[in-house]
Amino acid sequence: MSLEYRVAAFVVLSMAVMFADSRFDYLDRVRYSLGFLTAPVYWLADTPARVSNWIDDVFVSHGDLIEENERLREELLFAQRELQLLAGLATENNRLRALQEASASVNGRVLPAEIINVSSTPGTRRVLINRGATDGVLVGQALLDAHGLMGQVVEVLPFTSWVMLITDSRHGTPVQVNRNGERAVARGSRGDVPELELEFVPDTSDIEVGDLLVSSGLGQRFPKDYPVAEVTSVVHDRGQPFAVIKARPLAQMDSTRHVMLLALTGNEADRGDGTAPVWVDTAQNKPAVPIEEQIEELSASPQEEVVNPEPDSVSPDEPLPSEVADILPEEPSNQQE
Amino acid sequence: MQQRNHGTWVILLSFFVAYLLAIVPFPDWAMNYRPQWVAMVLIYWAMALPYRVGIGFAWMAGLVMDLLEGSLLGLNALALAIIAYITLSLHQRLRMFSSLQQSGVVLALVGLHLMMTHWMKIAAEQAVASNLLFLLGALSSAFIWPWMFVLLRQMRRGFGVR
Repeated sequence: MSLEYRVAAFVVLSMAVMFADSRFDYLDRVRYSLGFLTAPVYWLADTPARVSNWIDDVFVSHGDLIEENERLREELLFAQRELQLLAGLATENNRLRALQEASASVNGRVLPAEIINVSSTPGTRRVLINRGATDGVLVGQALLDAHGLMGQVVEVLPFTSWVMLITDSRHGTPVQVNRNGERAVARGSRGDVPELELEFVPDTSDIEVGDLLVSSGLGQRFPKDYPVAEVTSVVHDRGQPFAVIKARPLAQMDSTRHVMLLALTGNEADRGDGTAPVWVDTAQNKPAVPIEEQIEELSASPQEEVVNPEPDSVSPDEPLPSEVADILPEEPSNQQE
Repeated sequence: MQQRNHGTWVILLSFFVAYLLAIVPFPDWAMNYRPQWVAMVLIYWAMALPYRVGIGFAWMAGLVMDLLEGSLLGLNALALAIIAYITLSLHQRLRMFSSLQQSGVVLALVGLHLMMTHWMKIAAEQAVASNLLFLLGALSSAFIWPWMFVLLRQMRRGFGVR
């Protein structure tokens, strides 16, 4: 008999805890401190992947290494050339923006990270990265891989963080077509295929198959002009009020392990989460760096913009001015319904 | 009394291994087939040692699972507490069952666990309703159960867990 009462008590207790966790934020502290305990478990669970990576690195033939080295050198050469162009373009862009008294838009402060776990819940697309509050990670930071935008940080633990991918069906990414600046919101698809669907795009809009979608910077969450996806199908169905447009994300969601966390720009502060708002506040209170200095830095050594992974060097010693400062930071619910 | 609480570490170790197996990343196509290790280990211990692994233990185990999954606190705890309740009220019959019958019960229990967590996640807006393919996890759990049962029984007897 006592069994029934006990289970009823625990059901009520769970419901109370769930309610408290979803409505109030004091359980976030508990979750955060218990993150110290869960980090070793994630580390252990990641061991097979690390071992297989290590084996791939160690048991590789000399010829393969030489070949890969050559290929990488070649790629580096091309990348360096584009970087030279980019430095020039960035300087020019910033100068033009300075003429128009707009704030500088180019910033490249990133923190390398690794994906160490994938959420097992069906219907969600979240990954765990090996950077946490001790590395200065904040809720809302964007995650990139070598090819494009991957997602944003939704929960920060001491040594790890959960990142919601842009292909999650609750995630909407503000994008624009690179060719003509047509704006849309790309939502993760509900199906099993990790792809994006453009929402509420009128039939008359000029979007074609093969168009590159870049982040539009609206919504104040993702920086502007990072590649997001490529349009794979456009269907104009007269029975439906809007065009059905699907896009394939450029980031390699399920095969890549090495990713980058992009530093937040100035006023995209953590919204009272209690996790690490101090980090942003100190940055905001510092005087802005003149645009000329930024230009000099950028054109002098663009490749040194990558921040070292040590926690000390991560904290921002200069604020990164946001590009659309007059738009209010929006609520997280608008971004991820 | 000292005899009664013997081999707690075996129980904890089995749960720890179950947690590891539960969060080890699988390739995308295999995600739906992932057995529910924690629920299965819980069913075994609640069946074998009902006076030690009860509803409270299941609730705590579920809370740890919530932390590891990053889901709403109390979500897995609620589901596992209910699983433990059902197992505890059936445990004497379960011990008499053949392994095939036990697998059937595990199929139902793990399926219930998956359904409950899925519904709660939808209600808490942590996931969206998709197809029911995730219930394949119950099938794979039931398939693995006979081997897991034998393994855990060997461990229980070998280390004298009472």
